[in-house]
Amino acid sequence: MSDDINFTSKTAADVVLKTEGDVSGGQHFGAGIDCDSPKLLVECHKLDLSGSAALASAGFNPALKRVPQMDVVSVPLNKRADFVPSWKPRRIPVKCIGLTLPEGLAFQPPAQPNETSSDGIVLNKPTPQKKPERLDENGKPQRTRVKPPPNALSLQDRLFYLLQPPLESWLAGQELIMPFEPFPYQYEGIAWMFARHSALLADEMGLGKTMQTITGIRLLLRSGQVNRILLICPKPLIPNWQREFRTWAEELPIVTVEGSGARRRMLWTMPGVPILITNYESMTRDLAEFSEEDAPKFDLLVLDEAQRIKNRDSRTAQVARGISRRRSWALTGTPIENRPEELASLFEFMEVIPAHATPDLRQLSALASEHILRRTKDLVMKDMPPRIDRDAELQLTDAQQYTYRTAEKEGIIQLNELGDSISVQHVFELVMRLKQITNYDPLTNESAKLERLVADMEEVAASGAKAILFSQWTKTIDWLEERLQQFNPLVYHGGVPTKKREPILKKFKEDPNANIILMSYGTGAVGLNLQFAHYVFLYDRWWNPAIEDQAINRAHRIGVTAPVIVTRFICKDTIEERIDRVLREKRELAEAILGEGDNDNISLGMNASEIFGLFDLKKRTPKGAAQSIGPVRPEAA
Amino acid sequence: MSKDGHSDKLRLGFIATVEVEGRGCVGGLLVTNSNGRPLEFQCTTPVRPDRTQEILYGKMLRPWLLGELIGKTLLDRVSIKPDIVLTCDPDLLELRNHTSTPVACTSEDSERYGSGGRVTSSSEELGGRRLRFHLGHEDDSKFVKQQLHLIPGQADLEEPLERVQQALNETVKTVMTR
Repeated sequence: MSDDINFTSKTAADVVLKTEGDVSGGQHFGAGIDCDSPKLLVECHKLDLSGSAALASAGFNPALKRVPQMDVVSVPLNKRADFVPSWKPRRIPVKCIGLTLPEGLAFQPPAQPNETSSDGIVLNKPTPQKKPERLDENGKPQRTRVKPPPNALSLQDRLFYLLQPPLESWLAGQELIMPFEPFPYQYEGIAWMFARHSALLADEMGLGKTMQTITGIRLLLRSGQVNRILLICPKPLIPNWQREFRTWAEELPIVTVEGSGARRRMLWTMPGVPILITNYESMTRDLAEFSEEDAPKFDLLVLDEAQRIKNRDSRTAQVARGISRRRSWALTGTPIENRPEELASLFEFMEVIPAHATPDLRQLSALASEHILRRTKDLVMKDMPPRIDRDAELQLTDAQQYTYRTAEKEGIIQLNELGDSISVQHVFELVMRLKQITNYDPLTNESAKLERLVADMEEVAASGAKAILFSQWTKTIDWLEERLQQFNPLVYHGGVPTKKREPILKKFKEDPNANIILMSYGTGAVGLNLQFAHYVFLYDRWWNPAIEDQAINRAHRIGVTAPVIVTRFICKDTIEERIDRVLREKRELAEAILGEGDNDNISLGMNASEIFGLFDLKKRTPKGAAQSIGPVRPEAA
Repeated sequence: MSKDGHSDKLRLGFIATVEVEGRGCVGGLLVTNSNGRPLEFQCTTPVRPDRTQEILYGKMLRPWLLGELIGKTLLDRVSIKPDIVLTCDPDLLELRNHTSTPVACTSEDSERYGSGGRVTSSSEELGGRRLRFHLGHEDDSKFVKQQLHLIPGQADLEEPLERVQQALNETVKTVMTR
């Protein structure tokens, strides 16, 4: 810093602006513009600004030279700026809807490693062949999901079904070991049954109704939906169900209600038994003895061969409907055997129509689409070897011809002589007599059918194949047994004691020399798995093609590895030909009710008017509904 | 179950959300056993952020909404606590910051993870899927490794998420018609 401060200005200019001429007397230090003759004149003068400035000596100058004293003071900063508002966003309230699913029952320990050890050598256990994974159109693995049934109204109920795993993964050995992988349509059937309280599974015979039912039961038990199940089937089928349960759900404990009255009563009420199996007769007899309070209650009631309750007024149907249960399943390959009303009886059991209701065809059709699942082999088993039907039209031998004509002529004369007292039973007896003659001539033992059968069987035996023969009469079967000894025939009909039946089936399957088994429709038509037999002979015709189909499907069912050839023996110009024509004309009604996709396996039986018509006779019964005639439907003996 | 992986009672949680037009987001959590059988399901009513939240959270709005708000609420609500929570939505990995339960994402679509760097670059294979974890919780992969033996080899860990989606759609449909 200097003591003297000089401010010197070298020059300064005094600027005078003048306008030329007389404009209001002119001005110094200003400027003027003559509007008429705008000419700006600038005049400059130089001014001397030099001079000096010095501090006066006042005695405080030294103070200006001192270095100022400075102290440092710490000032703490606020962690949070005071000017930021202490505001937080509002937390949105979140409400929840919850569903806890039942734990279900556990029956088996976790699967063990697929190895077995013997003498220090570890061997892989044999495993069933795995089907290639099915892919959907997007290339993803196919999944069958359980859909909520239309009548599941509450959100919780619907979510329960939606949250179940796809059946493919549920049954893929994660929890439930399956001996064989089900077919896609079987997955769909299982999912359909699982979600329904009222279900009628009416798949064509041979498509696996038993397996689908067992697996459905298994899943319901597993998911805690049911705890106690009653399965009712015809008595001869009980061993079949026991075997199928062992195959498809070996972990499920099953108890068969049998034995003395006291033992059966104990079994009916025994706690902790998830599955009870019994037959229709036992059900009807035993449950009638329980009072209403003591009667056993079930979560699920399954009726196999449910056509047994087709007559809604029958004792069997009434008792079945009276059983306390939450779910009702019915199984049958022939939901309509004779009349649409039979379906109404099944619907009444399933509690989808009120008691004694008589729905018309349109209503039955609507109910069927909701509560019936029916698939046919044509639709679902495109890869299954086909069933080849052939009608063997045979000419009676001369002796047969003579006997037949004589019997027919005499029979018709007798019928006409009866006049108005003729009944359907009289006609029926004649039909039976004539049918028996077409099987063989009782006087000469000649038989066109036998000749043809032997010829065919020689081919069958030569190829090492096996055949099943069905007949209406045990007498015919015994007659055939004597004459087919070269093929080591086995006999399986109602006259064979129940205990001997399983060994007979076993021998038929395992003995390569046993080429043919002779069965009655009543005993052999339902529930047996004989898919290793590739030939079926219908030696005589049953009254209802649905029963014949049941018989044929003992062989033509899942697991069959070759086409099944079905031969129907029909003698020309006989009662057999006429019966066949009538039955063929009646195949359409069932299709009308059960919808498209059904094939001609279901048909209607013959009524009294049609039987009279076989001989051009008029029915002499009062006006009214057609009277069914014919033998009692083949019940398993 | 303890997290040492010795118990065979592994509980899996599957969490997913669906957008409901004009009403916000609905979330669902399904708890299953190791075989995928359902044990418990919880779902939320629709949740919609307001305008202030949209501005304040910006890009983090969805992770906050799905993870902290919906995911944590569901996880707190279930009575059967899962040992691991699986999702196919990377934004739901945010849930891991609000729970001690491991959370894994099954999505293999790297674009869905964005460039935020919130997920681990490495992954663990389980149930036919490659699982990725929250970047701040890389140890979760160790826990998953311990559980490998409890998950069936043929299990598909994305399948239960489809069930959750279906259940949420059904719930929305039912609630909307009321």
